Amino acid sequence: MPPRPCAPPEATITVAAKLEEVRRLTDCVRAFAEAHDSGQDALIDLELAVAEAANNIVIHGYDGTPGEITLHLARQPEGLRIELLDSGAPIPAAVFDHTSPAPDGAESGRGMAIIFACVDELAYESADGINRLKLLKRQP
Amino acid sequence: MTEFEDQDGIVVVRIGTERLDAAAAPAFKKALQENITDQPHLVILDVSSVQFLDSTGLGVFVSLLKMMGVPGVIGIVGAQAAVRRLLQITQLDRIFRLFDNISDATAALRSS
Repeated sequence: MPPRPCAPPEATITVAAKLEEVRRLTDCVRAFAEAHDSGQDALIDLELAVAEAANNIVIHGYDGTPGEITLHLARQPEGLRIELLDSGAPIPAAVFDHTSPAPDGAESGRGMAIIFACVDELAYESADGINRLKLLKRQP
Repeated sequence: MTEFEDQDGIVVVRIGTERLDAAAAPAFKKALQENITDQPHLVILDVSSVQFLDSTGLGVFVSLLKMMGVPGVIGIVGAQAAVRRLLQITQLDRIFRLFDNISDATAALRSS
């Protein structure tokens, strides 16, 4: 389905790296995806993926130190592309191996597996002090 | 705002927030710790107001299970699509039983 005529092809928002600010990111991705006629299932997945990624940045990347998170959204022919940029500590490579569900009794440690489940592609790079988590949600 | 009610041995927890995320989870967990004190075996979580749940909020559900007596059973009532999706992804829909309403949950938990 083509995007609505007035739907912007891209959007960017930067927020302080605080858990209280994560909602602004998820509200943004929801509004952007709605403008591009994403279905309800995709909206849920996108909101969840961005929340989990941003939580990880706040908790593990910045770990209480001040910082910012930038969310960049783009509608491209293959789907919605999402980038989360931060300048906190990079995600250790081993974290990307946690793609299967955590043990039932675990109270944390499910974030990365959830992100993997909610998107179709995931890439990560860290260079010059900037971390980029790149996600793709395919959309016809 | 979280409300607690004892229905003949089953603790019903009504979660009043629309968004149970990493920002809201600590207050929710504190409310549980202050009100779930006698290790009940059966708890119903009424999440019908919750439109968004992340893994941190879900982690508090797991911690509630640990606060309960063994074997504890938690029924979840009124889960909206986003809550159901998270439970499905994490496979915790095998642990938390889903019901449409409190009377169904009460009957099922009593017979469990």
